[in-house]
Amino acid sequence: MTCGSSDRPVLSVEGLSTAYFTDKETVHAISDVDLSVRRGETLGIVGESGSGKSVTARSLTGMVKSPGRILDGQIKYRHPETVTALAERYPDRVGPPSEHAESDAFVFDGPTDRYVDLAAAPEAALRSVRGDDIAMVFQDPLASLNPVYTVGNQIEELLTIHRGLGDSAATERAVDLLDAVGIPDPARRLGEYPHQFSGGMQQRALIAMALACDPEVLVCDEPTTALDVTIQAQILELLDDLQAERDLALLFITHDMGVIAEIADRVSVMYAGEVVEHAPVEALFAEAAHPYSRGLLASIPSQNPDAQHLPTIEGDVPTPTSEPTRCRFAPRCPEAFDACRDVHPRHVDVGDDQTASCLLYPDEQRRERAVRTHSEPTSEDHQ
Amino acid sequence: MTSRLRYFFRRLGLSIPVLLFGTTVTFVAIRFGPVDPVAAILGDPTNAAATEEYERIRGQLGLDEPLWQQYVEFLGGLVTLDLGQSWVVAPNTGTVSLIATYAPRTIWLGFWAVLIAIFVGVPLGFFAGTRANTGSDYVASILGIVWRAMPNFWLAVILVSVLSQSDALLGFSWQQLGPDVTVTGAPDLTELGSPSGFLAAVKQVLPAAVVLGSASMGNEMRIGRTAVLETISEKYVETARANGVPNHRVVWKHVFRNALIPLVPIITGEAFVLLGGSVLVETVFGIHGMGWLFYRASIQGDLPLVGSLMVVFIVLIVAVNILQDLLYVLIDPRIGYTD
Amino acid sequence: MHSNHPTHDDSTDTTGPAEPALRQIREHPRPALVWAGVATVLFALEFGAVASLFAELGTGVWRALQPGSRPTGLVERANAIPTLTSRDLITNSGHFDGDRWVGTFAGLEPRTAWVLRVGLVYAYAIAVVGWCWVGYRRYRRHYRPAEWTPLDDVVDRLRRHRWGQFGMLVVFLFLVLAIFAPTLGTTTVDQNIDNPFGHQIEYYDAETDSVESIAVGTANRQTQSRGIPDRNVGPLSYDQYGRYHPFGTLPSGKDLFTFLAAGARVSLVISLLAVGLASVIAVSFALLSAYYKGLVDLLFVIGSDSVMSLPQLLLLMLLSVLFSDTWIGQLYSGGILLALIYGATSWPFLWRALRGPALQVGDEEWIDAARSYGQRPITTMRRHMFPYVTGYLLVYGSMSLGGAIIAIAGLSFLGLGISPPTPEWGRAVDAGQQYVASHSWHISLIPGLLITLVVTGFNALGDGIRDAIDPQAESGSTDSQGAAVGGGA
Repeated sequence: MTCGSSDRPVLSVEGLSTAYFTDKETVHAISDVDLSVRRGETLGIVGESGSGKSVTARSLTGMVKSPGRILDGQIKYRHPETVTALAERYPDRVGPPSEHAESDAFVFDGPTDRYVDLAAAPEAALRSVRGDDIAMVFQDPLASLNPVYTVGNQIEELLTIHRGLGDSAATERAVDLLDAVGIPDPARRLGEYPHQFSGGMQQRALIAMALACDPEVLVCDEPTTALDVTIQAQILELLDDLQAERDLALLFITHDMGVIAEIADRVSVMYAGEVVEHAPVEALFAEAAHPYSRGLLASIPSQNPDAQHLPTIEGDVPTPTSEPTRCRFAPRCPEAFDACRDVHPRHVDVGDDQTASCLLYPDEQRRERAVRTHSEPTSEDHQ
Repeated sequence: MTSRLRYFFRRLGLSIPVLLFGTTVTFVAIRFGPVDPVAAILGDPTNAAATEEYERIRGQLGLDEPLWQQYVEFLGGLVTLDLGQSWVVAPNTGTVSLIATYAPRTIWLGFWAVLIAIFVGVPLGFFAGTRANTGSDYVASILGIVWRAMPNFWLAVILVSVLSQSDALLGFSWQQLGPDVTVTGAPDLTELGSPSGFLAAVKQVLPAAVVLGSASMGNEMRIGRTAVLETISEKYVETARANGVPNHRVVWKHVFRNALIPLVPIITGEAFVLLGGSVLVETVFGIHGMGWLFYRASIQGDLPLVGSLMVVFIVLIVAVNILQDLLYVLIDPRIGYTD
Repeated sequence: MHSNHPTHDDSTDTTGPAEPALRQIREHPRPALVWAGVATVLFALEFGAVASLFAELGTGVWRALQPGSRPTGLVERANAIPTLTSRDLITNSGHFDGDRWVGTFAGLEPRTAWVLRVGLVYAYAIAVVGWCWVGYRRYRRHYRPAEWTPLDDVVDRLRRHRWGQFGMLVVFLFLVLAIFAPTLGTTTVDQNIDNPFGHQIEYYDAETDSVESIAVGTANRQTQSRGIPDRNVGPLSYDQYGRYHPFGTLPSGKDLFTFLAAGARVSLVISLLAVGLASVIAVSFALLSAYYKGLVDLLFVIGSDSVMSLPQLLLLMLLSVLFSDTWIGQLYSGGILLALIYGATSWPFLWRALRGPALQVGDEEWIDAARSYGQRPITTMRRHMFPYVTGYLLVYGSMSLGGAIIAIAGLSFLGLGISPPTPEWGRAVDAGQQYVASHSWHISLIPGLLITLVVTGFNALGDGIRDAIDPQAESGSTDSQGAAVGGGA
C-alpha cells in the first residue's frame, strides 16, 4: 500500500456483503465485494441483471431497503473535510484504523489513513454523506423526478439543503447548473415540469440535481439504459467533461460493454453478487481473464461483425440464497472443471493492476497447485 | 396552462349531456311512472265534484298537454329555476322557497361531514402509511376498516341513544358540554354570526356529521394509507433520499403531495354518497333537511316536489363532478397536458 | 409435489383439453373414484333439499305458465325425502312436561338440541367445502395435464393471506346462515313470523304444574322486548314458554335469530342479483370499450357519468315507492325491484374498475392479431379479454356486495325496500331504535353488528383476492378508489 492519502482511492469498498431477508428465503445479493475508485477516475461496474450492481451502489450510502441490510464489510470514504466534520460530531466514535475490527468507531483517524466507514455509520451520519459527498443518478429519469414540482423547484431544494442558499441565489445557481449540463434556455426550463422534458433532458436534469450537492463521488446506476443511442453518447460525453472539470470520482454501473469502453478507466465485472474481475479497461478488452468477462466481450455485436450467430452464454444468472462455497459461474462456464464445484475462487493477480477470481489462475502454475492457492488462508484474511 | 384550461372546459361541456340524461330520467319516472301524480295528491276521484277538482289540478300541472310539450316546459322551467310547488307535503308552497328553508341544514350537515372526514381520515391514513406494518398501523387500519363497514343509520341510532343518556353511560352529560343543544333536532342557523350561535349550530350537527362522514372517513383513511405506501416506494422519493433530502421533508413535500392526488376522486366521490345518505342521518337525528324532505315527499306521493328535488340533487352532483375535475387540474400538472 | 403421469407430447394433441385428463383418470382411477364416492355420499345426504328446491321452482314455473293447473304431489314428495339438514333430524321444538323434555332430540333441552343442529349444519358445510378442496388438490396432482398454472400461485397466496382468510371465514359463515336459514332458526318463519296465530305450541306452566297449549301469536305477545326488565327477552335466554332465543326477541315478541337468519337469505339473494346484474353490464361495456376504443369508449364514459350523477339511494327510494303496488314491486316482497334498480345504477363503478384491466389487455398485440385474421369480436372478447378481467371482477364484485347489503338494509330501515312481514336486517334495526340504551339493546345492536361484520368480511375477501391475483398491488393500487364499500348507504 502506498502512503499519502492523495494516492488512496476516495472510496474503497472491502468485503461488502448485503443480503435480503424475506419470508421465503435469504437472498445474498452481494458477497465479499471489493471496489475502489480514485478522484478523476471512472470505475465501471458491469454485469447482467441480477448480478448485484444496483445493490452495491445502494449499499454505499445505506440506501438498501428493508428487508435488506449490509451484513459485512467496510466502505471506506476518504474525503478529509468530511472525516473531520464527522469526527467532531461523533467524538466518541473515532478510533485508529488498526482497531477497526473490534471497536465501535466508524471514523478512523490515523497517521497514514483517515476515513469514514459508511457500513458502520449511523443513519444520521449517512444522511449528511448522501448528496454532499456521494450523489446518485438512477436509471429511469422520468420516474426519478417528482412529477408535481417543477424541475427548478427540485434542483433548488437540493441547493438549499446542501449549500444553504437563499431563494434567489438558489435560482441563479440552478440556472448555472442546467447550463452546465447542456440544457438550452435554462432559465425558462426551470419553471417547467419533468414531463415537459425529453428523456435525454430529464437525465441531464438529474445530473444537474446530483451536481447541485457538489459531491466528491458520483454514482450512476445505468443512467443511459432508457435512452436513445445518440442521446446516450451525449450524456456520456457530458459526464466525462463534468468529471474533468470537478475532479469527480465516477462510479458507472451498466450492463453495456460498449458504454464501458467509452467511459470507464477501470472496470469491475460482477456476476451473481460477486466481483469476478478487476481490470483497467484496455486490459479487459484486450485480454479479459475471467471466462465470464470473455463471454461478455464475445457477445458484443461490434466484436463479431461477420458472425452469423452472436455467441451467447448459456443459462441464467442464479439467485444466490446462500454464501458462496464454490464458483457460481461454473454451471455456465465453458472452461469449468471438477474443482470448480468445490472450491470458492479468490482474486489473484493476473496482470498489471488486474485480478480475477477463477481457479484457472494463477495460470503459470499447474492446475492443482493453482487450485490450492485459492483455499489456503492468507495473511490478509479478514472475517 | 391554456391546454389545461381547454381540457377543463371540455369536461365542463361533457356535463351537459349528463345533466340532460338525469333530468330526463326524472321526468320519465314522474310522468310515466305507475303512480298518477294527481291521484297521489287528491286520491282517486269518486264523485263528480272530485272529478272536476281532479281535472282542474290536472290542468294546473300541465298534464293534459302533449308529452313533448310537457317535456319542453319541464326543461324550460328548470333552466329558469321555476320548480313548481309542493302539493302534498306543504301545499301551495313554492319548491324554491321550500329548498331555501330546508337546504341550508343539509348543506351545513354535509359541509361538516366532509370536513371531519377529510381532517380525520386523511391524516390518519397518512400516519398509518408512514408507519406501515407496525402496531399502530394495524390498529389504525382495523379501526378504519370496521368504521367504514358500519351502516350509518345504525351508527346514528346508537349515537343518538348514547348521547341522550350520556350521563348514565359515559359519566358526563353531552348536553351540558359546551352550548346547550338537544341531541336531535335541526340546527339553528340564524345566529351563525355570533360565536355562541356558531358553536351551538356546530355542536348540534356534530354527531350527525360524524355519522354521515364515517364511511368517507374510513375510505379516505384506507386510500390515504395505500397512496402513501405507493408513493413512498416511487423512484423520485428514493432519488431525493439518495441525494440527502432529510426524511421529514421527503415525507411532507414529496410523499404527501403526490399521495393527495388519488385522494381527490375519493373526496369528491364521497360527496355523492353524502347527498344520498343524508336521508338516513337526517331522519334519525331529526334534522329536517333536503334529504328528509325528499323522503317525506316520496312516501306522501308529492310527485311534483319529488321531481324538482331530484333535479336539484342531480345538478349538485354534476357540480361536484366539475369541482373534482377542477381540483385535479390544479393539483396534478400532468392532467390535460398535450404536447 | 411430484406428478406421476408419464410425459407425453401435448403439443401435437389436437383433441380438446379434457382428453389428457380423461386419459389420466383411466390410468389412475383410484384417487378419482375415492373422491367421487365421498362426494356422492355428501350429495346424497342433502339430496332431499336439492330435490325440494327443484320441485318448488318447477311447480312455480309450471303454475305461472299454466294457471289453474292441478297441484301435483311433487313438492310434498320431495319434502318427504330425508335430508341431513332438515329440522326434524335434530329437532328443538318440544316442551317440558314437569321433569323432562318431550319431543326434542334425545330429550335434550331446546338450547342444546339447537346448538347441535347448528353444529351439524356447519359441519356438513365445512365437509362439503373441504372435500371440494381435496378434489381440487387431487385433480391438480394426478390428473391435470399442466404441472403448474398461474391459478396455483393465486391459490397459494390466498392460503397465506390472513386478512383474506378472515374474509373467507366470515363470508362462509354468512353464506351457510343464508342458505340453511330455515334449518338454522330456532323456529320457522312461517310459525313465528308470518302466521303465528295459525300454529300452536305446548309449554309447561309452572303454576298449574301441567302442560298447556297456546297459539304462537298469543305467546309472542307475552315475550315482547320493550326495554324494561319485566318486558324483555334478552339474548341467549329462554322465554316463559320454554322457547330458546339465541338473540332475544323483537318488540313484537318474535324470535330475533330466526328473523335475522331469514333476513340473511333475503339480503344475500337480492345483493347477488343486484351485483350480478351490474357485473354483466359492467363487463360487457368494459370489454366493448376496450375492444373498440375511440367513440364507443367515449359514449360509455358519458353514459356512466350520467348514471353516476343520479343519486342512487334517492332513486331507489322513489322508484320503490312508485312501483310498490305493481306486479314487479310484489316479487319477493319488493326485492326483485330493488335488485334491478340497484344493479342498473351500480354498474358505472364496476365498469370503471374493470376498464383499466380491460384496456390493458385490449392493447396487447394478440388482440390486434386476432382482429387482423378476422376473428369475430365477440369471440375475441370472450376468449382473450374476459379471463383477464374475471379476477378483478371477483375483487370489486365481492366488495360491491357489501354496499348492496347496506343499501337494502338502509331502505328497510326507513320502511321502504322489503315490505313486511318479510324479514330484513334493516327493519330489525328500525324496530329497536328507541331501545338502544335500555335492556332491549339487542334488537338494534345485533343486526347492526352483523351487517358490519358481513360487510367487513366481503371487503376482506375482496382484498385477499386482489392481493392474490396481483401481488404488486400489495402496496396499494390507486384504482381501488372507493372500492371497498362503506356504510354510507
